[in-house]
Amino acid sequence: MSLLELTKISKHFGGVRALHEIDMSVHPGEVVALIGDNGAGKSTLVKIVSGVESPDTGEIRVRGESARLVSPKAAADAGIRTVFQDLSLCDNLDAVQNLFLGQERYGPIWTGRRIRRHVMEEQAQRILESLSVKLRSLSTPVVALSGGQRQGIAICRALISDPAVVILDEPTAALGVSQRGEVLDLIHRLRDQGRGVVVISHDMKDVRQVADRVVVLRLGTKVAEFRRGEYTPSDLVSAMTGAHEEGPVQ
Amino acid sequence: MSLTTTPTSAPPESPRSPVARFIDVAARGHRSIPVLVVLAIIWIVFYSQSPAYLSFRNITNLTLQIATTAILALGVVFVLLVGEIDLSSAVLSGVCAALAAGLAVNSGLPLGLAIVVAILAGMAITLIEALVITFGVPSLIVTLGGMVILQGLILVVLPPEFTVSVAGTPFAKIASTAIPAGTSYLLAAVATLAFAAYRLYQFRERLSTGTRTSPIAVLIPAVVAGVVLFGGVFILTRQRGLPMPVLIVAVMLLIAWYFTTQTRYGIHLYAVGGDREAAQRAGVPVRRMVLYSFLILGACAAVAGMIDASRQLGVSVTSGGGPLMLNAIAAAVVGGTSLFGGRGSIWSAILGALVIGSISNGVQLLGLTTEVQYFATGAVLIIAVAVDVVLTRGSLWPGRR
Ligand SMILES: Nc1ncnc2c1ncn2[C@@H]1O[C@H](COP(=O)(O)OP(=O)(O)O)[C@@H](O)[C@H]1O
Ligand SMILES: [Mg+2]
Repeated sequence: MSLLELTKISKHFGGVRALHEIDMSVHPGEVVALIGDNGAGKSTLVKIVSGVESPDTGEIRVRGESARLVSPKAAADAGIRTVFQDLSLCDNLDAVQNLFLGQERYGPIWTGRRIRRHVMEEQAQRILESLSVKLRSLSTPVVALSGGQRQGIAICRALISDPAVVILDEPTAALGVSQRGEVLDLIHRLRDQGRGVVVISHDMKDVRQVADRVVVLRLGTKVAEFRRGEYTPSDLVSAMTGAHEEGPVQ
Repeated sequence: MSLTTTPTSAPPESPRSPVARFIDVAARGHRSIPVLVVLAIIWIVFYSQSPAYLSFRNITNLTLQIATTAILALGVVFVLLVGEIDLSSAVLSGVCAALAAGLAVNSGLPLGLAIVVAILAGMAITLIEALVITFGVPSLIVTLGGMVILQGLILVVLPPEFTVSVAGTPFAKIASTAIPAGTSYLLAAVATLAFAAYRLYQFRERLSTGTRTSPIAVLIPAVVAGVVLFGGVFILTRQRGLPMPVLIVAVMLLIAWYFTTQTRYGIHLYAVGGDREAAQRAGVPVRRMVLYSFLILGACAAVAGMIDASRQLGVSVTSGGGPLMLNAIAAAVVGGTSLFGGRGSIWSAILGALVIGSISNGVQLLGLTTEVQYFATGAVLIIAVAVDVVLTRGSLWPGRR
């Protein structure tokens, strides 16, 4: 059974057809890459699945059951968590505070909702370890951390509520070579934990390294779907651009 | 179009340079240290000119002089932390003082009731300002306009002769009451023990979940608290006893410390100042946090105004005027709270007020001219803001990080 199943999802913005009858599924322990040129509809699809936008038509099923993802909270409750490209971290807060922001563990009202820091730290430690994210200190503001560590914290934050599906929007776009490797390892570990992972990427090398399946969007429609090992880089490029004959564009 | 399979050159990994990051790490958490150094220098300079500067008597005077600024600065810190600014709270303190004095002295209301009414009035006014601000008008403009309106309001609140004298009334006792040395030491002991017990409780909490900790985390803060409290009581009870305003400042700082550092409220406060959009997305009630900060400022302004009126033995049209507003903002910033939000602590209110108060006290003691005081205070403020800019942006020059 698939964790997430989209059927005939369509979305219009005024006269613009952002998505047209998209079918897509995500299975446990599987990494699905979502690729496409600018304006293909990747972000719109992610927004629909993370409860930011609602589709005009189509059905979303989570673990086989029909779901209405009317808000980010509804999506999170259904077990779908999204890490947006800008990471949405507060630079002045430390790792633990960022991980739990908005879902802090705190004491009763008569204590003024005192933070149960020891509980949060212990849980943070476990989640960070589960993805092998290494931090020198849990109480350093994240502004002082590397891009890879920040990406790691943003991903771990998505894991606080133990979601079934994790969606990553351009997770390696702002990273250098070594940190890119770190993040790709992270994605593998998410998969090995049995979660479904959706990765949006521009980078064909990343896609080839992590994706079990590749879904290609072009101008709002799904134009191709490839399994690992069943495609060449030029297949992806020609599907994205619609240039079947010319081969890769350099 | 960059639809290629060849790797493109990697963009920089982090927007901040290692140097900026280093400064950041070095300064954060210990942002109080630079201001303590500045304070020590100021004290040494003035002491070398006149030993009377560090006499028990003068230090007691100094604490009384800065109480108003420190309390107002405390409110300003809350507003700065959420990334807003306020220019109206000094005049507001005058309005609240005029209201309280009028009610207590002229209308014969019990003092306690008059104080409560004044605090609620202060909060009501900052609430209105905050509502306009969360509606989208910049706080600089709202509170600038608010300042002018409040200058009009103080004329309305004051009786026709435009002054209220509180000399000889219970109102005057707010500032002149001195807590006997014995009681003061008892308070210091209770506070130190309670703080040590709290740290010990946290230590055991952390042991229970196996999170990293050490007995040092109990010992050092407890010793520091004990030294500060007992040292303070020792110095300040040399004259008549512990001045009431000092106790009020201490209690307010204690409450502010707890809520800003130990509670969910505190995390949300810093989150809103650090990155509003990220906080919003994480489910932090951003508008409500801004409202809370202004409500706290309103209460602080009222308390500051009443203490000032009690010390000056009256309220007049100039109450809350003069350099008070500038001093309060300068104190917050000199103490290490950022003008850009999300950075700083409540200690900056008292430390910054001490710096500014120490300069003007020293200048007066040495009989120097007022311009020296202005030059020195202004220079310290500019240096503090420059440090703030470097810490926030990594450089004084735009575009260089
Ligand atoms: N909020 C919006 N309002 C109007 N048009 C939009 C909106 N969001 C996306 N679109 C349009 O929908 C199409 C798909 O966009 P998007 O999902 O952002 O593509 P991608 O993320 O693949 O670059 C584009 O033509 C874009 O202009
Ligand atoms: Mg996009």
